[in-house]
Amino acid sequence: MLKKLILKFAFFLHTSKRYNRIKDIVKDFLLNPDYKYKKYFDIFMILLIVSSVAILVYEVKHTMPPWVDFFDLYVVTLVFTIEYVARVWVHNSWSKEIVKAHGEANFLKKPFSLWEASRGVFKSKIFYLLTPAALIDLLAILPAYRPLRVLRIFVLFRVFKLLRYTKSIHQFVEVLATKKFELFTLLFLLLFIVFTAGIAIYVFEEKGNPQITSLFDGLYWALITISTVGYGDISPVTIEGRVISMLVIISGIAIISFVTSVIVSSFSEKLSELKDIRLVEEINKRDEFMILCGYGQMTRMFLKNYAQEFKNNYIIIEKDKNKVEDAFKEGYRVIHEDASRHDVISKFNIEYSTITLFALTGSDISNIYIILNAKALSKDIKVIARATNESIAYKCRLAGANHVVRPRILANKILLTAIIQPVMYQAIYAILTGKHLAQLDEVMLSEHQKMVGLKIEEIDFKHYKLLFIGIQRGVKGEFVFNPDKRRILNDKDILLLMGREASILYFKNLFQGINYGI
Amino acid sequence: MAYKKRAFMFGYSKSSSFVAQQLSYENLYLTLVLSDDEAYKKAQDDGYIDIKKIDITNDEELKELEVKEDDYLVCVLDDNHYNVFLTLSLHALFPKTVIIALSDSMHTTQKLKIAGAKHIIDLYEVSVNRLYNIINKPVTTKLIERLFSPNEEFSFKEIVIPKGSPIDGIMVDNFNFEEYKVIMVGMIDKRLSNKFLFVTSGVENHFDSGDTIVCIGYHEDLDRFEKFVNRLC
Repeated sequence: MLKKLILKFAFFLHTSKRYNRIKDIVKDFLLNPDYKYKKYFDIFMILLIVSSVAILVYEVKHTMPPWVDFFDLYVVTLVFTIEYVARVWVHNSWSKEIVKAHGEANFLKKPFSLWEASRGVFKSKIFYLLTPAALIDLLAILPAYRPLRVLRIFVLFRVFKLLRYTKSIHQFVEVLATKKFELFTLLFLLLFIVFTAGIAIYVFEEKGNPQITSLFDGLYWALITISTVGYGDISPVTIEGRVISMLVIISGIAIISFVTSVIVSSFSEKLSELKDIRLVEEINKRDEFMILCGYGQMTRMFLKNYAQEFKNNYIIIEKDKNKVEDAFKEGYRVIHEDASRHDVISKFNIEYSTITLFALTGSDISNIYIILNAKALSKDIKVIARATNESIAYKCRLAGANHVVRPRILANKILLTAIIQPVMYQAIYAILTGKHLAQLDEVMLSEHQKMVGLKIEEIDFKHYKLLFIGIQRGVKGEFVFNPDKRRILNDKDILLLMGREASILYFKNLFQGINYGI
Repeated sequence: MAYKKRAFMFGYSKSSSFVAQQLSYENLYLTLVLSDDEAYKKAQDDGYIDIKKIDITNDEELKELEVKEDDYLVCVLDDNHYNVFLTLSLHALFPKTVIIALSDSMHTTQKLKIAGAKHIIDLYEVSVNRLYNIINKPVTTKLIERLFSPNEEFSFKEIVIPKGSPIDGIMVDNFNFEEYKVIMVGMIDKRLSNKFLFVTSGVENHFDSGDTIVCIGYHEDLDRFEKFVNRLC
């Protein structure tokens, strides 16, 4: 009976949209670095930690007002407790495992064991509870237990929680972790010298030196000396003791130099990688951005013309180290990666951001691979690719590219016009290159509502030194070239105009806003 | 067959062969000027008759081409260095002849301009603007795609105004293009300069014989309008 009830409950949780949505939101807040509201949660937690530690320091010499004590005891601890429980909750899904195991049991026609199915989930949760991060979370809650005053010192564990919320500390630890072997070797060497020197000084000095009365004094002296701190409270008096001191000081300098060089080398090795990670994290916070794959002539020119307009809403992925350096020198946002690799594109915030990806490398094969890579991750990624000829362009479209640009074919067509129709060439070249004299621009009536309800003929485009080319009914509507001028303009229409940049801007400003009068 | 004009095309690669092929369909005498054996053989295989194999770095051999002032010199060599050098040599030898060059980098474009090319088609300038339009101006992208698609029902047309045309002497602003359902983009006013003037530039012009106007419209409307312009009063 109980088993049935539990199973029913598991199925209910598994199928409940509300429960799963709440769990997903909690998961995003706690674990998803790409979630746009996570940073606010992180800042909130950091403030709580800092305030808690500040209270600890302040109350050493001052009496706290009751409300501060209340805040520290109940509010901070309550938030930390909720966070601790929530992390355990979202670590894995009990209901999902139960439903899965039940389904398998039914399929194989074998008896279903609730305990067997739950065991794995609980085991995983216990493993999580024993991880350093979870232990720090637990210890950070303990200071709330006031009868044991010593527990107040556990407030310091709240500082360790900063590891979760500040990326720089987290990255520092990660970099050190890559040199774990070297650092542990040096630690063992340090311990070996401290113990040997500590024992030796105790043996030689215990009789004649009143400052060394126990083995602990010897070990304390060895550690203070090897670290080159040298308080001077214990100093050797025998010849043997002074020889040991000299040896310990020399080995101390050597070990400190080693440790420093290991840390510095690990940072210099990881520096460019860290920079790349930072750039990706930064761009992932944006609602909309562009990924430019390849830093060749086309990307160069594209950014030269439009980088200012795009602000920082772009990132370049380039696999050639020299080109990466070139782009970096130009001040562009670039990472050293191969865009055709699945894990590279998957680093981006595909779920929450609107991404436009440009496959602009010099190789058609790479571009097609990049398109497939992006489209395999999400069909929502808008892909614009470059192709050298029509057959490649066709393949790009097959792979899922939304638009294909063929620079050589376009240039050849223009070259041809320049020879055959030289006058027309001047017009076409200016239009195609977007020269300020002949810019084609779009006016969305949803943003320029003063025109809504008017007939096209009622707007004197000539007066504004503009050429009215056509109209599109709505974002996905049909484009009508040179329509009947008696047509009435609707809210969602898009007007296509040609003229100088200044004329277009003036016109847009004039008709911005809602039409109250006309 | 009497040809309207003559064009010399320097270079014959896989990509520029399209230009040569299209030019050969026009009323234009095409001479391919090549310096390497491979391109020469390919051009021969493709059926071109007038192919000259010369050393393009040698001015004496270039002089022998007998280029005239109203000819076209098209520099489409794959190597940027050679293309710039050739442009400079041609400009020095035939200063009044129009040189059209293809460039594949912004630095080369500047050099070609200095070297004397009149029209430089930058391979990427157009594409980059297209990339920008794709993401920011979807309607513009659609129009440009349709204007340059061979199957589309509307396009550009260049019309030269003959003497005695019904529009000869009329102010541009006073003419109602709406009647012919065409849009005039701009013109070359022979009286002012040889430069193309967009209708949106704000200059008040009037149509004169010898001026060239560029219009956009549906094919049949453009043809109707051209007939009207060419109708002599």
